[in-house]
Amino acid sequence: MSDKPEGIVEILIDRETISGRIEELGREISAAYKDRTPLLVGVLKGCVLFMSDLVKEITIPVEMDFISLMSYADAHRPSGAARITKDLDCVIEGRDVLLIEGIIDTGMTAGYLLRNLEARRPKSIRVCTFLDKEARRILRIPITFRGFKVPDRFVVGYGLDFRQLYRNLPYIGILSDAITGLNRY
Amino acid sequence: MAVITVFREPGAMGKEVAARIAGRLGFSLVDRAKLVQLSGEVDLDEARLLHVEEAISKGGGKIDPETEGYARLFQDLIAQLAEEQDLVVLERGAQGLFRDRPGTLHVRFVAPRKFRVAQVKNREGLSERNALRLVRTLEAERTRYLRALYHLSAADPTLYDLTLRMDRVSVEQALNIIVTAVEEMGIRQAPREKIVENTLKPHLPEKGGNGRYVNDAESEFARFLEFYHIPFEYEPRTFQLETDAEGKTMEAFTPDFYLPEQDLYIELTTLKQSLVTRKNRKVRKLRRLYPEINIRLFYQRDFYSLMAKFGLLGEPVANER
Repeated sequence: MSDKPEGIVEILIDRETISGRIEELGREISAAYKDRTPLLVGVLKGCVLFMSDLVKEITIPVEMDFISLMSYADAHRPSGAARITKDLDCVIEGRDVLLIEGIIDTGMTAGYLLRNLEARRPKSIRVCTFLDKEARRILRIPITFRGFKVPDRFVVGYGLDFRQLYRNLPYIGILSDAITGLNRY
Repeated sequence: MAVITVFREPGAMGKEVAARIAGRLGFSLVDRAKLVQLSGEVDLDEARLLHVEEAISKGGGKIDPETEGYARLFQDLIAQLAEEQDLVVLERGAQGLFRDRPGTLHVRFVAPRKFRVAQVKNREGLSERNALRLVRTLEAERTRYLRALYHLSAADPTLYDLTLRMDRVSVEQALNIIVTAVEEMGIRQAPREKIVENTLKPHLPEKGGNGRYVNDAESEFARFLEFYHIPFEYEPRTFQLETDAEGKTMEAFTPDFYLPEQDLYIELTTLKQSLVTRKNRKVRKLRRLYPEINIRLFYQRDFYSLMAKFGLLGEPVANER
Protein backbone atom coordinates (compact mmCIF):
# COMPACT_ATOMS: atom_id res chain seq x y z
CA MET A 1 0.00 0.00 0.00
CA SER A 2 2.21 2.78 -1.25
CA ASP A 3 -0.47 5.35 -2.06
CA LYS A 4 -2.02 7.25 0.80
CA PRO A 5 -5.78 6.91 1.02
CA GLU A 6 -7.93 10.01 0.95
CA GLY A 7 -7.75 11.93 4.18
CA ILE A 8 -4.19 10.95 5.14
CA VAL A 9 -2.20 14.15 4.95
CA GLU A 10 1.14 12.75 6.06
CA ILE A 11 2.80 9.47 6.93
CA LEU A 12 4.13 10.05 10.41
CA ILE A 13 5.79 6.67 11.02
CA ASP A 14 6.47 4.36 8.08
CA ARG A 15 6.31 0.59 8.21
CA GLU A 16 10.10 0.10 8.24
CA THR A 17 10.49 2.38 11.25
CA ILE A 18 7.63 0.59 12.98
CA SER A 19 9.15 -2.78 12.27
CA GLY A 20 12.57 -1.73 13.62
CA ARG A 21 11.13 -0.32 16.81
CA ILE A 22 8.98 -3.37 17.43
CA GLU A 23 12.04 -5.60 17.19
CA GLU A 24 13.67 -3.45 19.87
CA LEU A 25 10.56 -3.58 22.04
CA GLY A 26 10.47 -7.35 21.70
CA ARG A 27 14.01 -7.56 22.97
CA GLU A 28 13.30 -5.17 25.86
CA ILE A 29 10.23 -7.12 26.95
CA SER A 30 12.01 -10.47 26.60
CA ALA A 31 14.81 -9.20 28.84
CA ALA A 32 12.48 -7.64 31.40
CA TYR A 33 10.45 -10.84 31.83
CA LYS A 34 13.33 -13.30 31.56
CA ASP A 35 12.48 -16.61 33.28
CA ARG A 36 8.87 -15.60 33.62
CA THR A 37 5.76 -16.15 31.48
CA PRO A 38 3.95 -12.85 31.28
CA LEU A 39 0.35 -12.54 30.27
CA LEU A 40 -0.01 -9.98 27.51
CA VAL A 41 -3.40 -8.29 27.75
CA GLY A 42 -4.28 -6.49 24.54
CA VAL A 43 -6.76 -3.62 24.64
CA LEU A 44 -9.08 -4.08 21.69
CA LYS A 45 -9.20 -3.01 18.98
CA GLY A 46 -6.33 -0.55 18.69
CA CYS A 47 -3.74 -3.06 19.87
CA VAL A 48 -4.36 -5.76 17.30
CA LEU A 49 -1.74 -5.05 14.61
CA PHE A 50 0.86 -3.91 17.12
CA MET A 51 0.38 -6.88 19.40
CA SER A 52 0.46 -9.44 16.61
CA ASP A 53 3.80 -8.07 15.38
CA LEU A 54 5.17 -7.55 18.87
CA VAL A 55 4.65 -11.10 20.13
CA LYS A 56 6.61 -12.41 17.15
CA GLU A 57 9.63 -10.46 18.38
CA ILE A 58 9.37 -11.69 21.99
CA THR A 59 11.67 -14.64 22.57
CA ILE A 60 10.34 -15.86 25.93
CA PRO A 61 7.10 -17.80 26.47
CA VAL A 62 4.07 -15.51 26.70
CA GLU A 63 0.34 -15.93 27.02
CA MET A 64 -2.16 -13.64 25.34
CA ASP A 65 -5.59 -12.40 26.25
CA PHE A 66 -7.75 -9.45 25.26
CA ILE A 67 -9.98 -6.94 26.93
CA SER A 68 -12.29 -4.27 25.58
CA LEU A 69 -13.85 -1.20 27.14
CA MET A 70 -17.00 0.57 26.06
CA SER A 71 -16.22 3.65 24.01
CA TYR A 72 -16.91 7.11 25.36
CA ALA A 73 -19.00 7.61 22.23
CA ASP A 74 -21.53 5.40 24.00
CA ALA A 75 -21.65 7.77 26.96
CA HIS A 76 -24.24 9.70 25.00
CA ARG A 77 -26.60 6.79 25.29
CA PRO A 78 -28.64 6.02 28.42
CA SER A 79 -26.66 4.55 31.34
CA GLY A 80 -23.44 5.79 29.81
CA ALA A 81 -20.70 4.75 32.18
CA ALA A 82 -17.57 2.90 31.19
CA ARG A 83 -17.77 -0.85 31.46
CA ILE A 84 -15.84 -3.78 30.10
CA THR A 85 -17.51 -5.14 27.00
CA LYS A 86 -15.11 -8.06 26.52
CA ASP A 87 -13.44 -9.37 29.64
CA LEU A 88 -10.38 -11.57 30.03
CA ASP A 89 -10.83 -15.30 29.61
CA CYS A 90 -8.24 -16.12 32.26
CA VAL A 91 -7.61 -15.36 35.92
CA ILE A 92 -4.74 -12.93 36.44
CA GLU A 93 -4.25 -13.28 40.17
CA GLY A 94 -0.56 -13.86 40.83
CA ARG A 95 0.35 -13.32 37.16
CA ASP A 96 2.78 -10.88 35.57
CA VAL A 97 0.46 -8.82 33.41
CA LEU A 98 1.58 -6.58 30.56
CA LEU A 99 -1.20 -4.33 29.28
CA ILE A 100 -0.76 -3.68 25.55
CA GLU A 101 -2.28 -0.45 24.20
CA GLY A 102 -2.31 0.90 20.65
CA ILE A 103 -2.17 4.47 21.88
CA ILE A 104 -2.36 6.32 25.19
CA ASP A 105 -3.40 9.95 25.05
CA THR A 106 -5.61 11.25 27.86
CA GLY A 107 -4.88 8.03 29.73
CA MET A 108 -8.54 7.53 30.63
CA THR A 109 -8.91 4.07 29.09
CA ALA A 110 -5.58 2.81 30.41
CA GLY A 111 -6.29 4.33 33.82
CA TYR A 112 -9.67 2.64 34.04
CA LEU A 113 -8.27 -0.73 32.97
CA LEU A 114 -5.31 -0.51 35.33
CA ARG A 115 -7.62 0.14 38.27
CA ASN A 116 -9.82 -2.74 37.19
CA LEU A 117 -6.99 -5.20 36.64
CA GLU A 118 -5.09 -4.22 39.78
CA ALA A 119 -8.19 -5.15 41.79
CA ARG A 120 -7.73 -8.73 40.53
CA ARG A 121 -4.43 -8.94 42.42
CA PRO A 122 -1.89 -9.75 39.70
CA LYS A 123 1.69 -10.27 40.81
CA SER A 124 2.74 -7.31 38.69
CA ILE A 125 1.19 -5.09 36.07
CA ARG A 126 3.00 -2.95 33.53
CA VAL A 127 1.98 -0.94 30.51
CA CYS A 128 3.28 -1.16 26.96
CA THR A 129 1.92 1.27 24.41
CA PHE A 130 2.71 1.50 20.76
CA LEU A 131 2.09 5.26 20.66
CA ASP A 132 2.26 7.81 23.46
CA LYS A 133 0.53 11.13 22.87
CA GLU A 134 1.84 12.74 26.01
CA ALA A 135 0.62 16.24 25.20
CA ARG A 136 -2.96 15.14 25.80
CA ARG A 137 -2.41 13.34 29.09
CA ILE A 138 -4.82 13.91 31.93
CA LEU A 139 -4.18 10.83 34.04
CA ARG A 140 -0.64 9.83 34.94
CA ILE A 141 0.02 6.39 33.48
CA PRO A 142 3.25 4.55 34.29
CA ILE A 143 4.46 3.42 30.86
CA THR A 144 7.23 0.85 30.96
CA PHE A 145 7.49 0.08 27.24
CA ARG A 146 6.81 2.72 24.63
CA GLY A 147 6.98 2.44 20.85
CA PHE A 148 6.91 6.08 19.81
CA LYS A 149 6.01 9.45 21.24
CA VAL A 150 3.69 11.24 18.81
CA PRO A 151 2.72 14.89 18.49
CA ASP A 152 -0.78 16.17 19.25
CA ARG A 153 -2.23 15.26 15.86
CA PHE A 154 -5.02 12.86 14.97
CA VAL A 155 -3.21 9.65 14.04
CA VAL A 156 -4.64 6.55 12.41
CA GLY A 157 -3.37 3.30 10.94
CA TYR A 158 -1.63 0.22 12.21
CA GLY A 159 -4.70 -0.68 14.25
CA LEU A 160 -5.83 2.84 15.13
CA ASP A 161 -9.07 4.05 13.65
CA PHE A 162 -11.31 6.95 12.99
CA ARG A 163 -14.89 5.72 13.06
CA GLN A 164 -13.59 2.16 12.61
CA LEU A 165 -11.72 2.99 9.39
CA TYR A 166 -7.99 3.18 8.61
CA ARG A 167 -6.98 0.39 11.00
CA ASN A 168 -5.52 -1.62 8.13
CA LEU A 169 -2.95 0.98 7.08
CA PRO A 170 0.56 -0.48 7.57
CA TYR A 171 1.88 2.86 8.83
CA ILE A 172 0.86 5.66 11.18
CA GLY A 173 -0.69 8.51 9.24
CA ILE A 174 -2.03 11.91 10.18
CA LEU A 175 -5.69 12.28 9.38
CA SER A 176 -7.00 15.44 7.76
CA ASP A 177 -8.96 17.85 9.95
CA ALA A 178 -11.60 17.87 7.25
CA ILE A 179 -12.27 14.19 7.97
CA THR A 180 -12.28 14.47 11.76
CA GLY A 181 -14.35 17.65 11.68
CA LEU A 182 -11.65 19.64 13.47
CA ASN A 183 -11.37 22.05 10.56
CA ARG A 184 -14.61 23.63 11.76
CA TYR A 185 -13.07 24.67 15.06
CA MET B 1 -34.03 35.06 38.05
CA ALA B 2 -36.31 37.57 36.30
CA VAL B 3 -35.60 38.78 32.78
CA ILE B 4 -37.12 41.63 30.79
CA THR B 5 -36.18 41.55 27.13
CA VAL B 6 -36.46 44.75 25.15
CA PHE B 7 -36.86 45.24 21.44
CA ARG B 8 -36.80 48.87 20.33
CA GLU B 9 -37.67 50.50 17.10
CA PRO B 10 -35.04 53.23 16.74
CA GLY B 11 -36.28 56.51 18.15
CA ALA B 12 -39.01 54.88 20.25
CA MET B 13 -37.20 55.76 23.51
CA GLY B 14 -36.84 52.12 24.43
CA LYS B 15 -33.33 52.43 25.83
CA GLU B 16 -34.31 55.27 28.12
CA VAL B 17 -37.24 53.28 29.48
CA ALA B 18 -35.13 50.12 29.74
CA ALA B 19 -32.42 51.89 31.73
CA ARG B 20 -34.97 53.43 34.06
CA ILE B 21 -36.89 50.20 34.56
CA ALA B 22 -33.62 48.48 35.44
CA GLY B 23 -32.93 51.19 38.00
CA ARG B 24 -36.42 51.12 39.45
CA LEU B 25 -36.60 47.33 39.79
CA GLY B 26 -32.94 46.83 40.69
CA PHE B 27 -32.24 44.77 37.57
CA SER B 28 -28.94 44.77 35.64
CA LEU B 29 -29.07 46.34 32.21
CA VAL B 30 -27.44 44.17 29.57
CA ASP B 31 -26.26 46.50 26.85
CA ARG B 32 -22.99 46.75 24.97
CA ALA B 33 -21.11 48.05 28.02
CA LYS B 34 -22.24 45.05 30.06
CA LEU B 35 -21.24 42.69 27.28
CA VAL B 36 -17.79 44.27 27.13
CA GLN B 37 -17.46 43.54 30.84
CA LEU B 38 -18.66 39.96 30.36
CA SER B 39 -16.32 39.40 27.44
CA GLY B 40 -13.40 40.37 29.66
CA GLU B 41 -14.42 37.68 32.13
CA VAL B 42 -14.12 34.99 29.46
CA ASP B 43 -10.94 36.42 27.96
CA LEU B 44 -12.52 37.79 24.83
CA ASP B 45 -11.27 41.23 24.01
CA GLU B 46 -13.60 44.11 23.30
CA ALA B 47 -12.56 44.18 19.65
CA ARG B 48 -13.86 40.64 19.20
CA LEU B 49 -17.20 41.54 20.72
CA LEU B 50 -17.51 44.61 18.54
CA HIS B 51 -16.60 42.54 15.49
CA VAL B 52 -19.36 40.06 16.32
CA GLU B 53 -21.89 42.84 16.81
CA GLU B 54 -20.80 44.52 13.61
CA ALA B 55 -20.80 41.31 11.58
CA ILE B 56 -24.30 40.43 12.70
CA SER B 57 -25.84 43.86 12.39
CA LYS B 58 -24.35 44.47 8.95
CA GLY B 59 -24.47 40.89 7.77
CA GLY B 60 -27.90 40.78 6.20
CA GLY B 61 -28.92 37.81 8.34
CA LYS B 62 -26.02 35.55 7.28
CA ILE B 63 -22.88 35.16 9.36
CA ASP B 64 -19.84 32.96 9.09
CA PRO B 65 -19.54 29.97 11.45
CA GLU B 66 -16.80 31.53 13.56
CA THR B 67 -18.81 34.71 14.18
CA GLU B 68 -21.85 32.60 14.93
CA GLY B 69 -19.80 30.61 17.42
CA TYR B 70 -18.81 33.75 19.26
CA ALA B 71 -22.34 35.15 19.07
CA ARG B 72 -23.66 31.97 20.67
CA LEU B 73 -20.99 32.17 23.31
CA PHE B 74 -22.31 35.62 24.20
CA GLN B 75 -25.83 34.20 24.23
CA ASP B 76 -24.62 31.54 26.69
CA LEU B 77 -23.06 34.24 28.85
CA ILE B 78 -26.30 36.22 28.94
CA ALA B 79 -28.27 33.05 29.76
CA GLN B 80 -25.85 32.23 32.55
CA LEU B 81 -26.03 35.77 33.89
CA ALA B 82 -29.82 35.39 33.99
CA GLU B 83 -29.27 32.47 36.35
CA GLU B 84 -27.55 34.79 38.77
CA GLN B 85 -29.14 38.22 38.36
CA ASP B 86 -32.39 39.91 37.36
CA LEU B 87 -31.80 41.37 33.91
CA VAL B 88 -33.10 43.86 31.39
CA VAL B 89 -31.64 42.75 28.07
CA LEU B 90 -31.55 45.09 25.08
CA GLU B 91 -32.01 43.24 21.77
CA ARG B 92 -29.18 40.84 20.88
CA GLY B 93 -31.61 38.07 20.14
CA ALA B 94 -32.91 37.98 23.72
CA GLN B 95 -36.46 37.41 22.47
CA GLY B 96 -35.22 34.17 20.91
CA LEU B 97 -32.84 33.22 23.69
CA PHE B 98 -35.49 33.56 26.41
CA ARG B 99 -38.52 32.99 24.19
CA ASP B 100 -40.60 30.60 26.32
CA ARG B 101 -38.64 31.00 29.52
CA PRO B 102 -40.78 31.39 32.64
CA GLY B 103 -39.98 34.50 34.63
CA THR B 104 -39.51 36.56 31.49
CA LEU B 105 -41.33 39.60 30.15
CA HIS B 106 -40.81 40.50 26.50
CA VAL B 107 -41.40 44.19 25.78
CA ARG B 108 -41.39 45.98 22.44
CA PHE B 109 -41.25 49.74 21.97
CA VAL B 110 -42.76 51.07 18.78
CA ALA B 111 -43.94 54.37 17.32
CA PRO B 112 -44.79 55.73 13.87
CA ARG B 113 -41.65 56.41 11.91
CA LYS B 114 -42.39 60.15 11.69
CA PHE B 115 -42.38 60.36 15.46
CA ARG B 116 -39.19 58.33 15.76
CA VAL B 117 -37.34 60.32 13.12
CA ALA B 118 -38.21 63.48 15.04
CA GLN B 119 -36.84 61.94 18.23
CA VAL B 120 -33.59 60.93 16.56
CA LYS B 121 -33.29 64.31 14.86
CA ASN B 122 -33.54 66.14 18.17
CA ARG B 123 -31.41 63.70 20.15
CA GLU B 124 -28.58 63.43 17.64
CA GLY B 125 -28.79 66.97 16.21
CA LEU B 126 -29.23 65.62 12.67
CA SER B 127 -31.02 66.92 9.65
CA GLU B 128 -34.39 65.36 8.89
CA ARG B 129 -32.86 63.45 5.99
CA ASN B 130 -29.92 62.07 7.97
CA ALA B 131 -32.15 61.19 10.91
CA LEU B 132 -34.40 59.21 8.55
CA ARG B 133 -31.37 57.45 7.09
CA LEU B 134 -30.11 56.52 10.54
CA VAL B 135 -33.51 55.26 11.62
CA ARG B 136 -33.77 53.04 8.54
CA THR B 137 -30.28 51.66 9.07
CA LEU B 138 -30.91 50.86 12.71
CA GLU B 139 -34.31 49.34 11.93
CA ALA B 140 -32.60 46.79 9.72
CA GLU B 141 -29.66 46.19 12.04
CA ARG B 142 -31.69 45.52 15.17
CA THR B 143 -33.66 42.71 13.57
CA ARG B 144 -30.63 40.75 12.42
CA TYR B 145 -29.58 39.10 15.67
CA LEU B 146 -32.94 37.38 15.90
CA ARG B 147 -32.85 36.37 12.28
CA ALA B 148 -29.24 35.19 12.26
CA LEU B 149 -29.31 33.21 15.49
CA TYR B 150 -32.92 32.12 15.87
CA HIS B 151 -34.47 32.52 12.41
CA LEU B 152 -37.14 34.70 13.95
CA SER B 153 -38.65 37.87 12.61
CA ALA B 154 -38.58 40.80 15.02
CA ALA B 155 -41.86 41.91 13.46
CA ASP B 156 -43.65 38.80 14.78
CA PRO B 157 -46.04 40.18 17.42
CA THR B 158 -46.19 36.84 19.26
CA LEU B 159 -42.59 37.33 20.39
CA TYR B 160 -43.74 40.05 22.79
CA ASP B 161 -45.92 40.09 25.88
CA LEU B 162 -46.24 43.85 25.80
CA THR B 163 -46.00 46.36 22.97
CA LEU B 164 -45.88 50.03 23.92
CA ARG B 165 -46.63 52.76 21.38
CA MET B 166 -44.36 55.47 22.63
CA ASP B 167 -46.08 58.31 20.77
CA ARG B 168 -49.14 57.57 22.89
CA VAL B 169 -47.62 56.92 26.32
CA SER B 170 -45.03 58.91 28.22
CA VAL B 171 -41.82 57.40 29.53
CA GLU B 172 -43.26 57.51 33.07
CA GLN B 173 -46.45 55.78 31.95
CA ALA B 174 -44.39 53.14 30.13
CA LEU B 175 -42.43 52.55 33.32
CA ASN B 176 -45.59 52.09 35.34
CA ILE B 177 -47.11 49.74 32.79
CA ILE B 178 -44.00 47.55 32.77
CA VAL B 179 -43.76 47.47 36.57
CA THR B 180 -47.43 46.49 36.70
CA ALA B 181 -46.84 43.76 34.11
CA VAL B 182 -43.89 42.42 36.09
CA GLU B 183 -46.01 42.26 39.22
CA GLU B 184 -49.17 40.91 37.56
CA MET B 185 -47.29 38.22 35.67
CA GLY B 186 -45.36 37.19 38.79
CA ILE B 187 -42.09 37.55 36.93
CA ARG B 188 -39.99 37.96 40.03
CA GLN B 189 -41.70 35.12 41.85
CA ALA B 190 -40.84 32.51 39.23
CA PRO B 191 -39.23 29.61 41.08
CA ARG B 192 -35.59 29.26 40.17
CA GLU B 193 -35.82 25.48 39.78
CA LYS B 194 -38.56 25.89 37.23
CA ILE B 195 -36.53 28.35 35.22
CA VAL B 196 -33.52 26.08 35.15
CA GLU B 197 -35.57 23.02 34.37
CA ASN B 198 -37.56 24.53 31.58
CA THR B 199 -35.01 26.55 29.75
CA LEU B 200 -31.40 25.88 30.49
CA LYS B 201 -31.43 22.15 31.03
CA PRO B 202 -32.47 21.08 27.55
CA HIS B 203 -29.46 22.83 26.05
CA LEU B 204 -27.08 20.77 28.15
CA PRO B 205 -26.30 17.08 27.89
CA GLU B 206 -28.44 15.02 30.27
CA LYS B 207 -25.65 13.74 32.45
CA GLY B 208 -23.91 16.33 34.54
CA GLY B 209 -26.18 18.92 33.02
CA ASN B 210 -27.74 20.06 36.22
CA GLY B 211 -27.23 23.69 35.35
CA ARG B 212 -24.10 24.15 37.41
CA TYR B 213 -21.71 24.19 34.48
CA VAL B 214 -21.09 27.43 32.65
CA ASN B 215 -21.16 25.96 29.18
CA ASP B 216 -21.66 22.76 27.24
CA ALA B 217 -17.91 22.11 27.08
CA GLU B 218 -17.69 21.95 30.87
CA SER B 219 -20.76 19.78 31.02
CA GLU B 220 -19.32 17.43 28.40
CA PHE B 221 -15.99 17.27 30.20
CA ALA B 222 -17.75 16.42 33.46
CA ARG B 223 -19.60 13.65 31.65
CA PHE B 224 -16.26 12.43 30.25
CA LEU B 225 -14.77 12.22 33.75
CA GLU B 226 -17.87 10.52 35.12
CA PHE B 227 -17.79 7.99 32.28
CA TYR B 228 -14.34 6.84 33.32
CA HIS B 229 -15.19 7.00 37.03
CA ILE B 230 -12.63 9.72 37.66
CA PRO B 231 -13.43 11.55 40.92
CA PHE B 232 -13.55 15.31 40.43
CA GLU B 233 -14.70 18.51 42.06
CA TYR B 234 -16.16 21.43 40.18
CA GLU B 235 -14.63 24.85 40.92
CA PRO B 236 -13.60 23.83 44.45
CA ARG B 237 -11.05 26.55 45.03
CA THR B 238 -10.43 30.17 44.16
CA PHE B 239 -6.82 31.29 44.05
CA GLN B 240 -6.07 34.86 45.00
CA LEU B 241 -3.75 36.34 42.37
CA GLU B 242 -3.56 39.97 43.39
CA THR B 243 -4.58 42.02 46.40
CA ASP B 244 -4.61 45.74 47.14
CA ALA B 245 -2.88 47.42 50.07
CA GLU B 246 -5.74 46.48 52.39
CA GLY B 247 -5.64 42.84 51.41
CA LYS B 248 -8.78 43.04 49.31
CA THR B 249 -8.81 40.64 46.36
CA MET B 250 -8.16 42.45 43.10
CA GLU B 251 -7.69 39.42 40.90
CA ALA B 252 -8.58 35.80 41.44
CA PHE B 253 -8.78 32.61 39.45
CA THR B 254 -11.08 29.63 39.90
CA PRO B 255 -10.07 26.63 37.78
CA ASP B 256 -13.02 24.61 36.51
CA PHE B 257 -12.16 21.11 37.69
CA TYR B 258 -10.02 19.47 40.32
CA LEU B 259 -9.05 15.80 40.06
CA PRO B 260 -8.04 14.82 43.61
CA GLU B 261 -6.49 11.48 42.63
CA GLN B 262 -4.23 13.27 40.18
CA ASP B 263 -3.90 16.40 42.31
CA LEU B 264 -4.58 18.25 39.08
CA TYR B 265 -6.62 21.36 38.30
CA ILE B 266 -8.10 21.66 34.83
CA GLU B 267 -9.26 24.88 33.26
CA LEU B 268 -11.35 24.58 30.12
CA THR B 269 -11.71 27.34 27.63
CA THR B 270 -13.98 27.14 24.63
CA LEU B 271 -12.06 29.93 22.98
CA LYS B 272 -9.35 29.64 20.38
CA GLN B 273 -5.84 29.55 21.73
CA SER B 274 -4.97 32.88 20.14
CA LEU B 275 -7.78 34.57 22.04
CA VAL B 276 -7.03 33.38 25.50
CA THR B 277 -4.10 35.57 26.35
CA ARG B 278 -5.74 36.80 29.53
CA LYS B 279 -6.43 33.30 30.72
CA ASN B 280 -2.92 32.23 29.80
CA ARG B 281 -1.59 35.11 31.83
CA LYS B 282 -3.71 34.08 34.80
CA VAL B 283 -2.49 30.51 34.59
CA ARG B 284 1.13 31.69 34.42
CA LYS B 285 0.52 33.91 37.42
CA LEU B 286 -1.09 31.06 39.31
CA ARG B 287 1.88 28.81 38.59
CA ARG B 288 4.27 31.50 39.77
CA LEU B 289 2.38 32.23 42.99
CA TYR B 290 1.41 28.63 43.73
CA PRO B 291 4.25 26.50 42.34
CA GLU B 292 2.92 23.44 44.14
CA ILE B 293 -0.31 23.54 42.13
CA ASN B 294 -0.63 21.40 39.01
CA ILE B 295 -2.89 22.99 36.45
CA ARG B 296 -3.66 22.07 32.89
CA LEU B 297 -5.33 24.47 30.46
CA PHE B 298 -7.58 22.81 27.94
CA TYR B 299 -7.99 24.96 24.85
CA GLN B 300 -10.85 24.85 22.41
CA ARG B 301 -8.86 22.63 20.07
CA ASP B 302 -7.91 20.21 22.87
CA PHE B 303 -11.53 19.82 23.72
CA TYR B 304 -12.69 19.29 20.16
CA SER B 305 -9.78 16.90 19.54
CA LEU B 306 -11.06 14.87 22.44
CA MET B 307 -14.52 14.81 20.91
CA ALA B 308 -13.10 14.02 17.46
CA LYS B 309 -11.27 11.03 18.89
CA PHE B 310 -14.60 9.48 19.75
CA GLY B 311 -16.17 10.51 16.47
CA LEU B 312 -18.38 12.98 18.31
CA LEU B 313 -17.76 16.04 16.20
CA GLY B 314 -20.10 14.81 13.52
CA GLU B 315 -22.72 12.13 13.83
CA PRO B 316 -22.31 10.07 16.99
CA VAL B 317 -20.80 6.79 15.85
CA ALA B 318 -19.57 3.95 18.04
CA ASN B 319 -15.80 3.94 18.08
CA GLU B 320 -13.40 2.02 20.19
CA ARG B 321 -9.88 3.15 20.55
